Formats: sequence, structure tokens, C-alpha cells
Amino acid sequence: MSETPTAITPRQRLRRLPGRAVGMLLVWFVVTEADIPSLVIGVPIALAAAVLSVALQPRSLSGVYLPGAIRFARFFAVNSVLGGIDVAFRALGPRMRLEPAIVHYPLRISGAFPRVFFANTISMLPGTLSSRLTSDTVEVHVLDCTRPVIEDLAQVEERVADLFGAQLSPHEGGAVL
Amino acid sequence: MTLALQILATVILLTVALGIYRIERGPTGTDRMLSAMLFGTSGVALTLVLGELTGLHGLRDMALVFALLGALTAVAFVKRAWGADD
Amino acid sequence: MAWQTVTDWITYALFAASGFFFFAGSVGLVRFPDVYTRLHALTKSDNLGLGLASAGLAVQSGSWVVAAKLLLIWMIVIVAGATACYLVANSARNSGVEPWTGGDR
Repeated sequence: MSETPTAITPRQRLRRLPGRAVGMLLVWFVVTEADIPSLVIGVPIALAAAVLSVALQPRSLSGVYLPGAIRFARFFAVNSVLGGIDVAFRALGPRMRLEPAIVHYPLRISGAFPRVFFANTISMLPGTLSSRLTSDTVEVHVLDCTRPVIEDLAQVEERVADLFGAQLSPHEGGAVL
Repeated sequence: MTLALQILATVILLTVALGIYRIERGPTGTDRMLSAMLFGTSGVALTLVLGELTGLHGLRDMALVFALLGALTAVAFVKRAWGADD
Repeated sequence: MAWQTVTDWITYALFAASGFFFFAGSVGLVRFPDVYTRLHALTKSDNLGLGLASAGLAVQSGSWVVAAKLLLIWMIVIVAGATACYLVANSARNSGVEPWTGGDR
């Protein structure tokens, strides 16, 4: 995983084209609910979309590591359900246990796309919501600061790094304000 | 099954009603934007449920378009809110 | 028990859970004290509600392509929701909306 956004050579773009075209065709197939005759329009459109998407891509994105992606999907599914249950009971409970705080979490993960992905993932998980992403920290609004928030975030960050096939150094902690 | 779909559609409409209450109360434009985001999600769900209820499966395409438009509304709001506040 | 009955009951359970999360999310939107806490209710509960409703409909349809399409719609809503959530929280922070920290009940 590279730290600086690298420009892509035309050759690299060309190499990405077949995979992108297959992906676009798959989306067409799903969206039209497996309507075979529509492929007359679908194949040219999917190819055009693939060419455009490869040509317009500004920089190379961090590649996804498949076993990590499967682990991430499982982690995300379980925790987004827990996140929904957590916030639902806080909303419906008679006393609404809320101890909100702003947490500054120093980022370990590198690369623009993985960082944005991490910030978005935070918002979907129990009791956390990212509110500002800078070059070295992410600011998180937490519903309940009595929970070990920093440790939870470190674990989420490791899962996201795993998705992009990267290893992280041990985390150094953050500040609960 | 029809009854289950009707009940779910009613519950989703109830959430929209609660969202309208939030628009009425505000107090800030951002709070009202939250209701618009709620309508995005519940609109998609309601469209899908009504599609199943009426057998009009084309409504799934409509839900897909709603989902895509939902992404744009927040971007448009934030751009405008920033422009207004500065 | 016939297969249809089994899938019907799975759908009922998913619909019930879906309705619960939609309702809870909106109650949070009404009851929570500030923009940030309301965003929590909205992004988590409602997206889960939509996911469960889609899952119920996917089970009813009995078709893999339709299930994939419902999953695609849900994923678009999640990505859009998470991004919208960040944009709204960030614009609130930038325009100086202070988070509620308790006390004034």
C-alpha cells in the first residue's frame, strides 16, 4: 500500500479494463434482473462505462485483499446489527443513557481511500460517528464515553487495514475530550 | 403475507410522520436535513414494500434511483449550508 | 411444514425486526438532544431497518438475482448514508454546533 497517490500509466489503465468491464456487466445483469435480451444494450453500455471509469480514475486505489475483505464483511455485518440494537435501546429506553463525547483518534492507516473508508465504517458501528478527518487524526463523536472507545476504534482500524492487506503498528492511544 | 407487508408499510409511514415532527421542530437546518435523510432510507424501503405488495416489480428500479439520489441530496445540502454560513 | 411456510415465517421475523429498527431510529430522531446524537440514531437504526426489510423481500422473491439487486440497493444506501452522515456531522462541527454533553434534562 503506497502512502503517496501515484499517477497511473496508460498501460496500467488498460490492464484494469477487463476486470472493470466484467464488474459493470455483472451490475447490469443484476439491475435488469437477468433479462437476457437487454444485453443487446447492456454489453455496449457496460463496456463504455468500464472504459470511462478506467480513463477517469484519477489515481490508483489501494487494492483489496480478498481474505481480509471476507473477514471485514463478517465483522461489519455483526457490528452494524449490534450498532442498531445499541442505539435502538438507547432511543427507546425511559432514561436514554447518553454520555456523549468527542474523541481524537490518531490514524495509523495510510492512503486516502482506506482513511475515508475507515471514517465511513466508524459511522456505521455501535456508538461512534466520525465528524472530521484530517491528515493524521479522525475526530469521532461517541454516544457513550464510559465504554473503551479507543480500543474499539483500534480494532476497527485493524479490520479495515486487513481489508486492504496492510499491517498496523500497535496503537498509541487517543484523547477523550 | 399481504397483511405483513401492509403492517410494515404502515410502520415505515409512521417513521416518516415522526420525521415530519422533527422538521417542524427544527431547530437548525441541519436537524431538518436529518429528516430528509430519514425519508431517503424509509422512501427506499417503502417503495420496495409497495412494489412487492402490488406486484409492480418495476418499483425496485425506482428504489434504486432513490438510493442513488439520496447520496446527492446530502452533498447538495452541505454545499449550500457551507455557502450560507460563511 | 411446507417450504413456503418456512420462508414466510423467516420473512415475518425479518419484517418485525425491520419495523422495530425503523421505529426506534425515528424515536431517536425525535428524542435525542442534539444533531450528533440524532445522526447516530438515523445512520445505524434506519440502515439496519432497510437491510432487514430487503432481506425479508429477498427471501420472499426466491430469486438470486432479485436478492442480489436488493443487496445492491442496500449497499448503495449504506455508502450514501455513511458519507452523508460524515458530511452533515462535519458541517455541523465546522459551523460551531457544540455537542450536547448532558445536564439539561
